[in-house]
Amino acid sequence: MSRLLKLIQNEQAKLFIRKSTWIMYIILIGIIIAGAFLTDKFSDLNEDYQGDDWRQVLQEDNKKLQQEMKKDEYAQAINPETIAKNNYYLEHDIQPAPYTAWNFVQENAGLLTFVSLLTIIIAGGIIANEFRWGSIKLLLIRPIRRSGILLSKYIATLLFSLYTTIFVFLFSWMVGAIFFGVGDLNPEIVKQVEDGFTTVSLLKETLTSYGFQIVPLVMMATFAFMISAVFRNSSLAIGISIFLMMGGSSVMGFLAQKEWAKYILFAHMDLSQYTAGNTPMIKGMTLEFSIVMLLIYYVIFIALSWMVFTKRDVAGQ
Amino acid sequence: MSVAAMELVNLKKTIGNKNIIKGLSFSINRGEVFGFIGPNGAGKTTTIRMMVGLISISEGDVLIQGHSIKQDFKKAVREVGAIVENPEMYPFMTGWQNLKHYARMMPGVTKERIHGVVKLIGMEKAINEKVGKYSLGMRQRLGIAQALLHKPSVLILDEPTNGLDPAGIREMRGHIRHLAQEENVAVIVSSHLLSEIEQMCDRIGVIKNGEMVTLQQVGAQDNGNLVHHLTVEPTNKAKQLLEEQFDLKVVELEGDLSFRCEKEQMPAIIKSLVENDCAIYQANVVNGTLEDQFFELIGENTIE
Repeated sequence: MSRLLKLIQNEQAKLFIRKSTWIMYIILIGIIIAGAFLTDKFSDLNEDYQGDDWRQVLQEDNKKLQQEMKKDEYAQAINPETIAKNNYYLEHDIQPAPYTAWNFVQENAGLLTFVSLLTIIIAGGIIANEFRWGSIKLLLIRPIRRSGILLSKYIATLLFSLYTTIFVFLFSWMVGAIFFGVGDLNPEIVKQVEDGFTTVSLLKETLTSYGFQIVPLVMMATFAFMISAVFRNSSLAIGISIFLMMGGSSVMGFLAQKEWAKYILFAHMDLSQYTAGNTPMIKGMTLEFSIVMLLIYYVIFIALSWMVFTKRDVAGQ
Repeated sequence: MSVAAMELVNLKKTIGNKNIIKGLSFSINRGEVFGFIGPNGAGKTTTIRMMVGLISISEGDVLIQGHSIKQDFKKAVREVGAIVENPEMYPFMTGWQNLKHYARMMPGVTKERIHGVVKLIGMEKAINEKVGKYSLGMRQRLGIAQALLHKPSVLILDEPTNGLDPAGIREMRGHIRHLAQEENVAVIVSSHLLSEIEQMCDRIGVIKNGEMVTLQQVGAQDNGNLVHHLTVEPTNKAKQLLEEQFDLKVVELEGDLSFRCEKEQMPAIIKSLVENDCAIYQANVVNGTLEDQFFELIGENTIE
């Protein structure tokens, strides 16, 4: 066990000694700060509703929105939703909560797609690079089974995605706190559901947003890891994985009509399709079915990586 | 007798239907430097990769301190330190970080041991620089340090003199002799250039097309013995005679008999051969080094 920990420590050291890994974090920091700056400048932060006269302001807003709808076709499409939301606040006597660090954290759940991208780059390189450097030969002649080395590398990859996700979460909160203030510990927000609106805990909402993103993150990281182990080529692993990650869901759009489409991995990446207010991508799919499909793909990816890595000869390049 | 540090038992490697290694059997003892020589493509690196378990063994086995690399990989490989082909360390880490990295992979390597190894190879000054900035010679030395960390009983160095200048080779030779004698390590050194490693080896094995062509002791010429070649008929009878009567090690080379003996012995040998009805067509002293024999042995550099 302690040997495995030391192996993981080695892998972490190799990741974080390299500048390229730090550059990834610098890019993330840049995106988050820029995001906060843009949100602060251009978004509606509910600031108008923070006074005691928030009911009046809401009513005035609704009137304005209705007038807009008379002139503008575009407004006709989106304004009714805002009006309904405002009415929900008024009917239930809920003062719209101010935009705080927590809202910013929740909006940044989308950044986990970028974290997936970085994890794919790490996963795609973590085995292939050892072959490229030639250091694999020195790595595999230690009194450690190949499966142990592979496991340490896989865990190191997942740890990287975990750190980075936590980093996005914490750093978003910090930047959000500076730009928008801390706010209540657990504010509630109004959210659209199937039949109207409801109030939900923002914290819970934030955690679910992050949680649903973890499924594609782990799946794509494992996929890239497999390609890296099987083909020993990082560009191939990174290229294919990013291509599938980007293209996967749009291809699903075309294939959704087909019966066999429900056996494609990308039909199951977004589990939030089963939450209230959403419909599954393909008719008849259930959460249980999706989980089983995800597990099958996961086991295939892992089994392939293991079989190839532990059995294949390490011959000259 | 104690177990050989490393023993190859009828080792074979087949890829597809091509026999790359065709049954190698030899053993190396502790304290001995074994030169593993053959032209490029003869199967040296393939053999070395099988010795350390990087590639699978088709038939036969490699025993390291009695442990089979096939059945008991962990125990066997614990006894081995190796550089396979080039000493490829992580270029983005310092020498020290590299050693630390490998030290974590093996049980019982202390910080003091790492310091000790660094001192042994004389790298104290450069150890905190990035390996990417090292010269090839420095990388070779760091490679040796890495291989010695866990005090192995067998040290395998694949082409350690590759890319070194004459001074570097001389220094490397010193290191290797020292390791074998002082630390009682069995050292296997491979090379395609016999002249470079001849002086550091106790014994050499020449491999050609996956087969061991010859195994012989080195250094006999130092005490005045010369290599003699005899063209004689009938060869078998002559060989037997030389072995029994004069206690010589005789090797057959393309129909000739090759052996080492003192110059003064030759008249007696020839006399005895003639008396025993052996027809001598030619008798000459080979004035070259092992290098010449090497070329005689392997002939053209053909790859099957």
